Amino acid sequence: MLLESLILQAKLFLQDDMGLSISDVQTRQLQQDTLTLKEYTSMIGVGGKINVMVVISYDQEMLEKLVELFMDGESLDPSEEQEIKDSVAGEVVNTIMGLALPTFPNRGKGVTITPPIAINNSTNLVKQKSSKIISVEIQTNCGTLSIHAIGAEDIIK
Amino acid sequence: MLNVLIVDDSLIIRKKINTILQKLGHKSVFDATNGQEAIDAYAKYRPDLVTMDITMPDMDGITAVKKIIGQDASAKIIMVTSHGQEDMVIQSIQAGAVGYMLKPITEEKLAQAIGEVFIEYATNDEDDDLEIDEL
Repeated sequence: MLLESLILQAKLFLQDDMGLSISDVQTRQLQQDTLTLKEYTSMIGVGGKINVMVVISYDQEMLEKLVELFMDGESLDPSEEQEIKDSVAGEVVNTIMGLALPTFPNRGKGVTITPPIAINNSTNLVKQKSSKIISVEIQTNCGTLSIHAIGAEDIIK
Repeated sequence: MLNVLIVDDSLIIRKKINTILQKLGHKSVFDATNGQEAIDAYAKYRPDLVTMDITMPDMDGITAVKKIIGQDASAKIIMVTSHGQEDMVIQSIQAGAVGYMLKPITEEKLAQAIGEVFIEYATNDEDDDLEIDEL
């Protein structure tokens, strides 16, 4: 349920807003407790009537392309590079989550989202025993974006 | 030319709005990263327009709108928001904001939002009505 909406909005965002081409989308449920993250990651907590953690991870090619598109032709100041990357990573998860929210039951009323949190220099997230990790890999002509939803299976699927 | 106060905790959004404002012939007087900075900067610079993010750390945009309107009832504040924050947009409008703009931010959207508030900067595209009526 939640994941389908996130996949749809992520695809629309990448295609329509960013102008990227999507070549493949693969969904899988992780059997292990640990989620291995890509180099650049941002996450948002979903609370209220739905409790899920949404994590979006980018490979280098994808994030660099998104930064280029967000910068709209402006040059990147090296002293701001890391902050810009974190900022873009956060804005993307924030935008996708915001687009998905009205498609949740009751148009997302009663559901809250936290500001995005950048995760740097961390390679793994370990889930609680009762929750599930369901992951989606969206491959584009400019790298891969991974969406991970962590929470109760009946809410995510 | 309008003097604009940009309020957003995201560096890339502040840069984007700044770049677009320059293209439109306006000027950012200060970039604030949270609501409290916005209130202080508003008192100092008295800008013609404020672009205000809703979700920010320390003090959110709705609280900042209330406090700025408390300082200056004629303040012109446009909320910058994502889809899915309609309830918060309504609260912002009730608090005194004059409009809103949905992310992703584009030159067309910002120009249109400014034109809705300042008639002298209005664009002529009738298809670009702000979505505020749909709330």
